[in-house]
Amino acid sequence: MSLDNAVLTTDNCRYCLMCRHVCPVGHVTRLETLTPHGWGLLISSVQRGLATWTDSAVDKLYSCADCGTCQSHCVTDQPLPAAIAEARADVAAAGLAPAHVVALNQTIERWGNPYREQEPEAVSGTGDVALFVGDEALYLWPDGLQAALSLLRAAGIDPVLIGAGRNSGYIPSSLGFPETARRLAAANLADLQASQATMLLTLNPGDAYVFGTLYSERLGIDFPANVELKEVTALLAERLAAGDLKLRRGAGGPPYAYIDPAHTSRMAGRDAAPRQLLAAVMPAPGRELFWRRERTHPAGSTSLRFANPMIAEHLTYARLGDARAAGAQVLICEDAGTLNVLASLAPRFGLTIQGLYELLAEQLEGTQGN
Amino acid sequence: MNRFQFRTEMIRSELEDIVGQHFVSVDESDKLVYSTDWSWMPQMWLDRGQPLPTPDYIVHPESAEQIAEIMDIANKYRIPVVPWGGGSGTQGGALPLFGGILVDTKRMDKIIEIDEVSLKVTAQAGINGEQLEWALHEKGLMLPHYAAASRCATLGGYLAPRGTGTISTKYGKAEDMVLNMQVVLPTGEIIRTAPVPQHAAGPDWPRLFLGAEGTFGIITEATMQLDYLPEARLLRAVLFDDLSKALEAGRRIMTRRLHPFVIRLYDPESTRSQVKKVLGLDYEGAYMVMGFDGDPDIAALEEQKALAICTELGGQDVGREPGETWWEHRYDFYYPPLSLHLPWMYGTTETVTTYDKIEPLYWAVKRAVEEGFPQWNIRFIAHFSHWFHWGVMCYSRFIIEEPPADAQEALQLHNRVWQAAMQAVIDNGGMINEHHGIGVKLGRYMRQQYGDAWPFMLRLKKMIDPNGIMNPGKVGFGF
Repeated sequence: MSLDNAVLTTDNCRYCLMCRHVCPVGHVTRLETLTPHGWGLLISSVQRGLATWTDSAVDKLYSCADCGTCQSHCVTDQPLPAAIAEARADVAAAGLAPAHVVALNQTIERWGNPYREQEPEAVSGTGDVALFVGDEALYLWPDGLQAALSLLRAAGIDPVLIGAGRNSGYIPSSLGFPETARRLAAANLADLQASQATMLLTLNPGDAYVFGTLYSERLGIDFPANVELKEVTALLAERLAAGDLKLRRGAGGPPYAYIDPAHTSRMAGRDAAPRQLLAAVMPAPGRELFWRRERTHPAGSTSLRFANPMIAEHLTYARLGDARAAGAQVLICEDAGTLNVLASLAPRFGLTIQGLYELLAEQLEGTQGN
Repeated sequence: MNRFQFRTEMIRSELEDIVGQHFVSVDESDKLVYSTDWSWMPQMWLDRGQPLPTPDYIVHPESAEQIAEIMDIANKYRIPVVPWGGGSGTQGGALPLFGGILVDTKRMDKIIEIDEVSLKVTAQAGINGEQLEWALHEKGLMLPHYAAASRCATLGGYLAPRGTGTISTKYGKAEDMVLNMQVVLPTGEIIRTAPVPQHAAGPDWPRLFLGAEGTFGIITEATMQLDYLPEARLLRAVLFDDLSKALEAGRRIMTRRLHPFVIRLYDPESTRSQVKKVLGLDYEGAYMVMGFDGDPDIAALEEQKALAICTELGGQDVGREPGETWWEHRYDFYYPPLSLHLPWMYGTTETVTTYDKIEPLYWAVKRAVEEGFPQWNIRFIAHFSHWFHWGVMCYSRFIIEEPPADAQEALQLHNRVWQAAMQAVIDNGGMINEHHGIGVKLGRYMRQQYGDAWPFMLRLKKMIDPNGIMNPGKVGFGF
């Protein structure tokens, strides 16, 4: 996004309150300043000399979750999250970004991810289908990755693994370090090219959004036109419907709910496939959370977990509270980041966290399920 | 430390004692954001790089009891208390013009009870309107106050300015849906109104808090009447080449006691500009949307009767699609850049009057605006959207696309246009406002609007709020 476009966006959003009702940060903090309108007004006021980037103002700028829910509910599609990322980049370039964010970017620059001091893995080979592993699936919820691979193989797909241990570029882009993000994007796309794949699978909607939208809109990098981008859940649901994937229905269990991962609202219609897969293996329909599907709130796993861990934790609590209010005892998701943050606090709510891919893999025909 | 600083810190400490340190802010970026609501004047001021008056403290209480304690502090130090819900008011009703304590009610957002037998919901006043609506939808219910600001306004904000939503023609104004309320008075008492509104146990005093815009206290909880989500919603559009005949059609539909949930009649200028720009419908004349809901058979029959009235008056039935398009996109008008936006100057000079006066009033306001300010290429648009058995609301707006660059000059011109419009309203038997409220913008017309009754209202204010702490400068109550 260019600076001119960012100014236009914040000028549009500064007095508009029409997405207030879906902003997760506004919802958990109840602060006017921490809403799309508040961020828009703050940024536009700095541009007009009415405010300066004090530590406090910068802290507020870094309190947006960059989940995209505001934009996806905007009738005129105002790209406020990108404009906020642009403002953060200005702040970072001026040396005013929070110290912990700067340190995080240095870690990502060095290791390609914020989780482990380890180099990303090389591309696993060549083939028609590649799977972007990223950093969270590898380091935060590795069982889910293995289960997803089992499911794909059962459906006749043996993907080439790319980007294992490397962030997609979302985190540095979101936090105001577009150059770091561009380097990660370039490395991931180089992996994709090396794999010779014509289809790229992602394990969650966040990665699909990054490859399909963020690279071009924020970083000016085009995703290859000859490569089809698809989520694993969508592919599995297709194969299930076609009879190419056989799942058996499980036995009864406690009430459960599916929690839509962060960035779901950015990927219109993506919420159907996980529910179709669950319907094939669960003996009874699940509960639905209040914040679901296109209005889902992130569970604290976006860039906010690094920028403002306290608010991110509030989001985690809110999602667990939502699940408990819905009467669920088991909360199911396929996104490693979401599972990771929920698992740390779920026992306090009497909830069990379950990976969707693992659940499905247990129900593969020909395996020992429950 | 000087005396002023000492006092400032004392008040802050006392507020923190009530709500906790985390819920009191004196941060400059918070003050900036809370210095403006959805009204043109403060937005214009900031747009031109001019700072606004800000609150001294922004406080986030979680209960009526905490608000009562805040009132005690305000009375002790004689400082203003400004209630804040969603900040979506267009009249400056939530502007902290004189500093003081801004009370943001959004932490008070709990649904206390949904009664599926009597069809009512009790909720704290800080709940977001759309979130409340979603919760009701889960049970097949709705709160039929479908305001354009539902996505940002709070329940308290529905009531404080006597708001009206898009389906009010059948379901009434927000005030008509209130069964009872909890209110914290300026003197710190927490009171609750009678359980139901229709009775004969004395005067209807609870309505004093509806339309008071926080000058008589803060509404902290309300029980609202609900409806079932309608089984059917039938939308249809009719095109008239004559606004007068369209208004007559609306009058006949209402006075014959048909029950449209909406009649939205755009004047020819609005049809040409707004309807085309936002909905993509290219019509000449007056575009009218009619909607009937509920039982599908009854809705269809009522629609048929209403359509016959329209046809008899020369209306052309243009079918369902243009009606449904409006319903699907009815809030699109409020999203930038489709909405009226800066650096333009604009104002919503909406009014309400009886059927016998509505058309002369419309033309009088239109003439006053268009003929009074031709040098500014002023535009006047209007629609008629809230219909009663006895009359209709006219939602008129003026727009100047190239106003003065200087903020003060712009404000002066703005006030002059408002003066011309409001004088025409009053002279022609209209009310100075139907549903946005008075705020700071229209306070100067209250004396003229109410004449001999105005001193009575001033005495009421003095009695309810003896120290004048509540939302000073609003509803014409002075500073």
